[in-house]
Amino acid sequence: MFQPKPMTHLLIAAPKEQMASVVTELYRHQVFHITDFVDQGKEGYEGVRLGTPLEGVGELSTNLLKIRSIENVFQTSPETLFDIPKRPAVTIREAIERELPAIEMEVNALTVKRSAAESRLRECEQRITELKPFALVPLEMDLYSGYDSITTIAGYVANEVPINVPHEKYYAVRKDGNFLVIFVETQNATEVEHILSDADFQSVTVPNETGSVQAAIDKYTAEQILARTVFAETGAKISELKTKYADLLAACDEVLSGDVERAEAPLRFATTEEAFVIDGWVPADHIEPITAGLNQATSGCVYVTVDDETNAAAIPVEYNNPAFAKPTELFMDVYARPRYNEIDPTLILAIMFPIFFGFIVGDVGYGIIFLILALFVRKMAMFKGDGGRNLIKILVSSSITTMFFGLLYSECLGYSLPWHALIFQRHLPMGADAAAHAGGPEAMPLLIVSIWIGIAYITIGRIFGIINHYRMDRAGKHRTKAILGQAGWIAILWSLLILVCSFFSVEQMFGITGMMPDFTTVLPIAPGLPGTSLGGIILLVLGCIFLAQENVLDLMEIPTIISHVLSFCRLAAVGLSSVAIAMVVNYLSFGMFIDPALANLDAVGVIMIIVGGLIFLCGHALNVGLGLLGGGLHSIRLHYVEFFTKFYVGGGIKYNPFGLKRKFSEE
Amino acid sequence: MAIETLTIEVAQEMAFGYTAIGAGLAVGLAGVGTGLGEMGIGAAAVGATAEDREMFGLALLFTVLPETIVIFGLVIALLLLFL
Repeated sequence: MFQPKPMTHLLIAAPKEQMASVVTELYRHQVFHITDFVDQGKEGYEGVRLGTPLEGVGELSTNLLKIRSIENVFQTSPETLFDIPKRPAVTIREAIERELPAIEMEVNALTVKRSAAESRLRECEQRITELKPFALVPLEMDLYSGYDSITTIAGYVANEVPINVPHEKYYAVRKDGNFLVIFVETQNATEVEHILSDADFQSVTVPNETGSVQAAIDKYTAEQILARTVFAETGAKISELKTKYADLLAACDEVLSGDVERAEAPLRFATTEEAFVIDGWVPADHIEPITAGLNQATSGCVYVTVDDETNAAAIPVEYNNPAFAKPTELFMDVYARPRYNEIDPTLILAIMFPIFFGFIVGDVGYGIIFLILALFVRKMAMFKGDGGRNLIKILVSSSITTMFFGLLYSECLGYSLPWHALIFQRHLPMGADAAAHAGGPEAMPLLIVSIWIGIAYITIGRIFGIINHYRMDRAGKHRTKAILGQAGWIAILWSLLILVCSFFSVEQMFGITGMMPDFTTVLPIAPGLPGTSLGGIILLVLGCIFLAQENVLDLMEIPTIISHVLSFCRLAAVGLSSVAIAMVVNYLSFGMFIDPALANLDAVGVIMIIVGGLIFLCGHALNVGLGLLGGGLHSIRLHYVEFFTKFYVGGGIKYNPFGLKRKFSEE
Repeated sequence: MAIETLTIEVAQEMAFGYTAIGAGLAVGLAGVGTGLGEMGIGAAAVGATAEDREMFGLALLFTVLPETIVIFGLVIALLLLFL
């Protein structure tokens, strides 16, 4: 909680003969995070270099390459396949040996056939395009060539061109360029070409065909149809094979990827002539089993030491949160993974995100719609992978808080529930219930609560900042300065609050009148100058000094205190706008179309009811979308921008244990 | 004459009308400001994310920074209308 999983630095040393068994054992445990050895030629590391892969990696890689190329033909990938029953690894290995060559041959043959058909198809298409203009000329194809003293010129031209040498000409007007064929004596050909090129003539080569043009076109069209059939047939066969083998290939891919990862692991080790050392991390509670396992696998020929590493930046980070907070780790990873020795705010985010979401949207109807939407998306498996699943879980919890706040606000699709709002009344005086909400929404109390939430968040953020500086910075002057700086921020925030309360009678706290003590009359020093104001000023000056001693330029940032606190107003404001949209939609649909139509039902009335219903559906669909965006994005943004920036560093290394997470296979 | 018809009720209605216009301007202009602010950031953020998926979180963060302006506008509008 608030801390990543404790990690221990392990160094494993063994003679080279034991490499395969050590790797296999580590791979089996799936908890060891290997730190790659970088050969930098550092002092004390003479003779130490990167390891070489285990035997047989070549064949494994070749097979993997074959599988990937088949997957490429099938246009599938293990990442896009889900919910496939796992197969035992032994049968997969057998399949790789026995079935893979046959599958490869079959797929290769089909691919060759398909690409041949494809190129034939293109060729025919091109021939037909070439031949088409010649169909307008009443000549057979044989007549265009085979002369000794006559040259044929064919091509496109914008307008008919007068030619002053003896010639035979065919001119056809076409939509996409007029077509011209000229037969001239070879001795005059150059001259004609000159004339034509002056008229922007584009020459084409005469296709080498015989017989009538139409016959040639027909021949190619027939061929084209044939090639298209072959192309479609082979495509169908390939997709048939795809449905048959895609799952098996994904499993083979996984098993082979695992084998290759294992075989290539020594590339990450430091080796000498006779021995090797693996540097890495394991969660603290896994040291015993892994040490015992290694000793057993190598019959004692291994030396495992625990190293007390102090450089926290090098320690891989694995979250350590209760199960309900797990999905929220997605939001943390989007921002940045926490460092090993800093506070991990996932838990706060996991609790507060749905509450903020519910506080903003707060409508039973929308809550139910969100829930149905989330369950539908899960049922249809639209979001694949862990990220999508986590997002759905977050949406489910957010929809539940939305319903809860909806009950408190007494809201359902913008209408009131049969009771008066229990905490904040957010309805506008509009539509049929206008009289019941004559006072308008309780915007002020909502804004006050939002601002108090902001003050609490920023204070907690700064306190976390102090703790983080204490933990992460090296003891010394710099750390003291940084901690005092954070304290200065808190002092300035609260001094401003005290000053405001000293000069203005603020009556409401958390939106409840009378909860806020009246500071304006405490220990009056002079008329209109209560004692608390003096305290406030002292705190303000102290805060500024604390801030300035860390960095004078930070004084310029003091207004951000106000803007960040006020930014929390969005909790109230976005929610009120969502209610307003819902009520306007209701008023437009029922108030202006459906109710008047029902009062006096006739043919026009039916149309009005349909139009009103459409407005109702579209308007609320829009508001559901806006609610998801507004509720989600604003809640997450308040955490990212206003909260995390106060203390969060992030950029920790992701804990990535050696060993594949199996999706399709099992040992 | 206009002056003769300007009773207290009419004046109050007019005042409310002006308040409503003010509230509308507050949200609208603040929205335009936010839009202008997010225009450049959004384009750059999409570019950065296209180059490197890891940038998404940070890009989103930068993109939503100017959003506070429109929230301030919305808050002012609410204060104008309901205070």
